[in-house]
Amino acid sequence: MNVYTPIFILGALAFGFAAFSVVIAGFTGPKRYNRAKYDAYECGIEPTPQPIGGGRFPVKYYLTAMMFIIFDIELVFLYPWAVAFDQLGAFGLVAMMLFLLNLAVPYVYEWRRGGLEWD
Amino acid sequence: MTGGQFGLFGSDPWWLVIGKAVAIFGLLVLLTLFTIWWERRVVSRMQNRIGPNRVGPFGLLQSLMDGFKLAFKEEVIPKAAHVGVYWIAPVISATAAFIAFAVIPFGPTVSVFGVETPLQLTDFPVSVLYVLAIASIGVYGLVLAGWSSGSTYPLLGGLRSTAQVISYEIAMGLSFVAVFIYAGSMSTSQIVLAQQPIWFAVILLPSFLIYVTSMVGETNRAPFDLPEAEGELVGGFHTEYSSLKFAMFFLAEYINMVTVSALATTLFLGGYLAPWPLSLWDGANTGWFPVLWWVLKVQLFIFVFIWLRGTLPRLRYDQFMKFGWKVLIPVALIWIVIVSIARLFRTDVALTNTELLVVGAVSIAVLLAAAWLLQVRSDRRADKRAQAEEDHARRASEVLTAASTGHPVPPLPGQRFEYTPRRSTVTVPGSTAPADSTEAVAPPQEDRDA
Amino acid sequence: MNFTPPAIDYFALSPMIVIFAAAIVSVLVEAFAPRTIRRFLQLLIVFGALLTSAVLIVLNAGTRTVTGGGAVVIDGPALVMMGTIVVLSILGAALMAERSIDPVGDSFAARASSLPGSEDERQLTQRGYLQTEIWPLTLFAVLGMLLFVTANNLLLMFVALEIISLPLYLMTGMARRRRLLSQEASLKYFLLGVFASAFYLYGAALVYGYSGSIFFPEIAQSLTSKPSESIVVFIGMGMLIIGPLFKIGAVPFHQWVPDVYQGAPTAVVGFMAATVKVAAFGALLRILYVAFGGVRWDWDPLIWIVAVASMILGSIVALLQTDIKRLLGYSWIAQAGFILVGLAAASPAGLESTMFYVIAYGFATVGTFAVISMVRDANGEATNLAAWAGIGRKSPLVASALSLFLLGLAGIPLTSGFVSKFAVFVAAIEAGATWLVIIGVIASLIAAFFYVRIVVIMFFAEPTEQTASVVVPSAFTTISLSAGVAVTLILGIFPQPVLDMLSNAGLFLR
Repeated sequence: MNVYTPIFILGALAFGFAAFSVVIAGFTGPKRYNRAKYDAYECGIEPTPQPIGGGRFPVKYYLTAMMFIIFDIELVFLYPWAVAFDQLGAFGLVAMMLFLLNLAVPYVYEWRRGGLEWD
Repeated sequence: MTGGQFGLFGSDPWWLVIGKAVAIFGLLVLLTLFTIWWERRVVSRMQNRIGPNRVGPFGLLQSLMDGFKLAFKEEVIPKAAHVGVYWIAPVISATAAFIAFAVIPFGPTVSVFGVETPLQLTDFPVSVLYVLAIASIGVYGLVLAGWSSGSTYPLLGGLRSTAQVISYEIAMGLSFVAVFIYAGSMSTSQIVLAQQPIWFAVILLPSFLIYVTSMVGETNRAPFDLPEAEGELVGGFHTEYSSLKFAMFFLAEYINMVTVSALATTLFLGGYLAPWPLSLWDGANTGWFPVLWWVLKVQLFIFVFIWLRGTLPRLRYDQFMKFGWKVLIPVALIWIVIVSIARLFRTDVALTNTELLVVGAVSIAVLLAAAWLLQVRSDRRADKRAQAEEDHARRASEVLTAASTGHPVPPLPGQRFEYTPRRSTVTVPGSTAPADSTEAVAPPQEDRDA
Repeated sequence: MNFTPPAIDYFALSPMIVIFAAAIVSVLVEAFAPRTIRRFLQLLIVFGALLTSAVLIVLNAGTRTVTGGGAVVIDGPALVMMGTIVVLSILGAALMAERSIDPVGDSFAARASSLPGSEDERQLTQRGYLQTEIWPLTLFAVLGMLLFVTANNLLLMFVALEIISLPLYLMTGMARRRRLLSQEASLKYFLLGVFASAFYLYGAALVYGYSGSIFFPEIAQSLTSKPSESIVVFIGMGMLIIGPLFKIGAVPFHQWVPDVYQGAPTAVVGFMAATVKVAAFGALLRILYVAFGGVRWDWDPLIWIVAVASMILGSIVALLQTDIKRLLGYSWIAQAGFILVGLAAASPAGLESTMFYVIAYGFATVGTFAVISMVRDANGEATNLAAWAGIGRKSPLVASALSLFLLGLAGIPLTSGFVSKFAVFVAAIEAGATWLVIIGVIASLIAAFFYVRIVVIMFFAEPTEQTASVVVPSAFTTISLSAGVAVTLILGIFPQPVLDMLSNAGLFLR
């Protein structure tokens, strides 16, 4: 048996359980219609209708997401290097330090320019 | 590793694999029920209350009953919701939470009905990476739930949790690098075995601390439970969820808690290996005993989670992001550099332990000196600030003597009146328009470094 | 597991390393240096690095080596291209450094992220903010171009393509005036550029799938050694060359050119029009001559079609333009077609003439945009041709310089343009593509009409109310302008030394 197959078995079990629970809830619970109940929750006031697709939100979240991708790719490079650290030796270390430096510079730049501030 | 084999993994008969999968599933559900009860009891104790004690012995069945109760609650789907996505989001969350556990080792190889098998569902050369990947998929559950609800609070809550989870995932990922360098592998079972003489939590203490901090952020738990900041965002991304759909998110949160605790145990506390005085006894690391050590270690982490929740107030969002991006990540990066250089000196240059200690002592001295210098600098700054405040207070008090009664009165002729600069650009009719009104507007952000 | 680090010839790579290090330092200067001395430091870094790099390229003359694990190749043509790019970058950077033409300061937005027309922008202008972020971007773009002409495998070439593109997308959107136009151009350039990059990647995947290697020499080997030719590799090749063809602005990948020429800051257009063309032709030559040199008959028709379409469309549409920057954009498209005629020859003469053409074209372009940045009216640069009426009578010197460049671009004898067109057409005739040359000559005639039209407007029209005035620039623009004039004349009158140098540079290292 492949080493990845057990994940699918556990996954199927978990998915089945979750999907069953989500579906069954519609049948077990009571149904009492009330117009206000099916409105979006907004602290008792008349809710503001949202445009399809969720409307606009602060650009900060995009910045965070971009930073995440950059650092995540850094991780993807760091992991194999770390695992093979003893074989790669000094060359690998120097190469990786240069890579980290290249990432540190824009990171520092963004820090100084206020890209990491939430106000 | 030909034919998908990795050690003993991949050689289990099918009934054993299914048995293990069911066991893990059951264990996770039970642990969730137990953890909810345990959390409520412990927090109650910390707050001088008793906590749930009615259903079952010591109230142990309370969370199970709560679960059943949720199933019989009305399910409210807001009419603005994007139905398909709204339904699938809790399923994604719960499924991802369950399957992340597939690579956690509970114990060494044991014999089950005559079959030699490791106490772990499966393992492969990149299993820690797999946990991180599944954690990222779990984020989809949050962001889709927030987006599909068609409501403002869940959207903001979903975005917040996403930003939070991905920010702390980087620090978390960086804390693993040192472990991989020392273990030489990304497979969980190999990492556990690599901690045979000494746990990584001891030799890689900074990594451990970074991981423990970021795992709290990663699971959206107090004091980092901002997505559920009820004062600001009602319930966060699951505001519009009810009944069993809500229960799925709840379940996922607690399973994630168990998962990150188990990962911490695996990577830093020697997994199922017996703790020090017990490890002197050879039998402690054989048979089914290690499962006991594993459970105890995981429970220790869960207790820490509960303890944090009972003790600390919630952080402000900007402080929280600042901590993640400006403290955890740089510290983690610097620590990786230190570890890798030290390791290279150890292996390639073959320094003796004494020399390494000397190098370590010197670096610590340098770091302390740097810290001291920084401290001096910030002290000086603080002094200056205090001086400035004092000056300001003095000046303010001089002016205040004009109104010595304590009530604001119009200045008498000859009395000085200090002008208080205001942010607003509103001009009082009749007065001469302030020429520097543009100056009063907050300067552009870039100005700070000018 | 045995690991042997790849051998790296650091000296051969030093021109790139210098630029890269300077770019990193330049970012740090942006982050930490006080605003007052930033400009001084940035100019020091940029010109210092470019000059150092130029010296290192000269010192490397004669190097023929493959280094960096086979990823980078330094040979004669590569060194010529690198040298041209660096020298043109110095002239282009001089245009960007100009601060005495625009009364507000320089020609870049005070902060590119502020909304056009917003309070933020108004305040920044009022406070006289001048940004220096253009400098690290310039250095990164130059680094990308140097890598583009030296890349010896598909992967490095893609990385280089992106390193060129991303800074240029940003620089395009940074104009101080007519910002919406500038930002629109930037977005168009970005979206179309991403599309072209995706084509390149897909093509690279197909070529790799056929040949099993990303290295150009090995691709060439697999093409000749495999008995059956696969359609996959030719589809792959077609998609692959879309990347460089897009950067060149050849039809049908030209849609961004007029908008970017019109919207981007003039100094940036001067910089990128000159250098990117060199870099993209360098890469295109290397792909077609090294990797696909053995299957010339399969890609030749493709290049013919693109060349004919570019020449005809560029020349004819340019006739209708009333904005000089837009007109030059279409003229760029037509010029791309002429250069492709030489490239299609697929011979040593083709390589040589193509290189000569891009060098001559680059210097004339920098000079042209230097002049355009100086002609202004109350609203900034006067790009409408109506405003150019009679400029030759008010400022004969500047107008003569522009006339020289335009005649050069048109290919009038005694200018560099004549020699380069002649060389390109001769190479094509030798390769047997006489019909292509005939179309080229016809297109040249059409093109000559609109170039000469500008000269006529400048010198033979009466100055009107609308006529713009010529601002006296500082030394920066003057140097670029004089260098452009000098090179255009020298290459037109004594082209032999440069032609000799190009033939001594030899062929691509396979």
